[in-house]
Amino acid sequence: MTTRVLICDDSNVARKQMARSLPQDWDVEISFANDGSQALTAIQEGLGDILFLDLNMPVMDGYETLENIVKLDLPTMTIVVSGDIQPEAHARVKKLGAVEFIKKPIDPESLANILVNFGLYRPGGTQTIKQDTSAPSSTPSTAILTRPDDGEPIDYRDCMQEISNVAMGQAADLLARLLNVFVKLPIPNVNVLEVSELEMALSLAEQGDTYSAVCQGFIGHGISGEALIIFSDSSFSDMANLLNYKGELDRTVELELIMEVASILSGACIKGIAEQLDIKFSQGHPMVLGQHVKVGELIRANSNRWKETLAIEITYEIENHNITCDLLLLFTEDSLEKLYKQLSFLMD
Amino acid sequence: MTEPSIEIKEFHWLMDMLQTIDIGLVVVDRNYQVRVWNSFMESHSGQPSSKVKDHNLFDCFEELPEDWLKHKANTVFTLKCHSFMTWEQRPYLFRFKNYRPITGTEEFMYQNITISPLASLDGEISHIAIIIYDVTDIAANRKALESANAELAHLIRTDRLTSLYNRGHWEECLAREFGRYQRYDTTCSVVMFDIDHFKQVNDTYGHQAGDGVIRAVAEVTRKSLRKTDIAGRYGGEEFGIILGNTEAKAAEIFCERLRKEIEALNVNYEGQEIKFTVSLGISEAKTSTQNYTEWLEQADKALYVSKENGRNKTSMYDID
Repeated sequence: MTTRVLICDDSNVARKQMARSLPQDWDVEISFANDGSQALTAIQEGLGDILFLDLNMPVMDGYETLENIVKLDLPTMTIVVSGDIQPEAHARVKKLGAVEFIKKPIDPESLANILVNFGLYRPGGTQTIKQDTSAPSSTPSTAILTRPDDGEPIDYRDCMQEISNVAMGQAADLLARLLNVFVKLPIPNVNVLEVSELEMALSLAEQGDTYSAVCQGFIGHGISGEALIIFSDSSFSDMANLLNYKGELDRTVELELIMEVASILSGACIKGIAEQLDIKFSQGHPMVLGQHVKVGELIRANSNRWKETLAIEITYEIENHNITCDLLLLFTEDSLEKLYKQLSFLMD
Repeated sequence: MTEPSIEIKEFHWLMDMLQTIDIGLVVVDRNYQVRVWNSFMESHSGQPSSKVKDHNLFDCFEELPEDWLKHKANTVFTLKCHSFMTWEQRPYLFRFKNYRPITGTEEFMYQNITISPLASLDGEISHIAIIIYDVTDIAANRKALESANAELAHLIRTDRLTSLYNRGHWEECLAREFGRYQRYDTTCSVVMFDIDHFKQVNDTYGHQAGDGVIRAVAEVTRKSLRKTDIAGRYGGEEFGIILGNTEAKAAEIFCERLRKEIEALNVNYEGQEIKFTVSLGISEAKTSTQNYTEWLEQADKALYVSKENGRNKTSMYDID
């Protein structure tokens, strides 16, 4: 019997990767959804015996989707596929009814094992037809089912977003373990920007607020850039509590806090991206860019030397604490060609 | 005897390189037993590897910030990530002498520290490497730049002759004080005063003497200030004082005391005694005052009243 598999992820790249990770000899019919609400409609239309569900998505995220599946009593078996590898995220989705949690990037072998364990798939079966279908049922449908088309050019932005998503999750997991908290993960914001637009593009930058920041350079394989960690100054008191710093919160203590969190976040994120691109970056020593200054003063980028940058912005928030920090990964203009080349290897 | 394999030879010169590289390398295990202590560490600490190796790091160096380092090391052990510390957080981990004891300006070596996880064959983090970079020159340059900037910031605000604030900075202070008054409805007064018949002092005794008189007035003014008062040299022989949390009545007491002290002054210039007086004007900020310039003009008008009424006097600006 053909199993109907629904893959729900906001990233086209991620949907493709998921579809490709499924056992080749598994008799399935695959449909796709861009967000939770599309997935719900598709399940109602009988397209999702099994749902592979991402967590961080616009419109309706994975948590909300799981809640709705329970509420509407929809007949599907949900396996969460996410870059958010915090144990807490794992526990939460299990509680919401997901049967399993698979971390990105997906390892096809462990995926196959999971499917075997649930009795969904038997390796070496006789049926070796893998069907992709984009055709929704004949009844009018609100679900926009997209199908990855192998002929289309690679969407580097989407690709970079998915890679950042995974790297961000790895970094967040470390931060969560360091602070013993749950880190709320956003959708990474990937843009090619003029250097002059950088400040405006920062979602953190609220007028009047002051920030402290650390930057760390990285280089390797013809790709180079900097990771900036920007803290809103109002985050320090909660951060000091979480890291058990007693006593007065002076500039030195703040420096300790920001260096500790920044070296973990930027280090893990840079490493995560390098691993996925299958390259290695050397990382410089982190530098304090400024304490208690306006965002504009932090990013006095050398606009004479380069005009464009690939900017990845990730805003980390910590649940139940007043802590917000922006991780900004900036790739230099001359890195882009090499970067795109690595990405296309990845997509092949 | 068989020849040592190529790998062992390679290992030998690799080790040699780690030993002689001009960066501090320390490897410790989970119990902080030292496993590697390279020659940089030997030379700067004065402790040979033989004395440190296989000993507890904190036993060998009691002055190390044990809690701090253990906290950082624990993060590296459990999260398997690098940890970085800059000299700005903590100038040094090991107190070493400056590498340039003669021409260097700093007494000790500033250090950046990286702690890296070292995995054993089973992938577990059994050891960490503490890497010590000498960043004394960077730190010294940064500190020199900071102190030059601070000096510059001081110079740009200060009047050279009197060391009081100059007009520009004093007016900025006045604008800020007026802003505070408008926001928080505080009480504050501004005083303008100048030296009576200053031109005569200059004409009779010369400009050098005139400068001496201005300096003497500034000195008396400075001594009469309370902590929050702000005095500046506004122009040639004209001065201004911002009196925070002070109503006009109290400002008058302050001014009268200052006036009398200046009246009693004797400035000695090349054997000649110079005596002089000042005239003062006060204005307390009122809700009807539009901006700080208007506030200042009011004090100036009060000062003119003092001049018209025979000088060596204090007058208050009266709205009515």
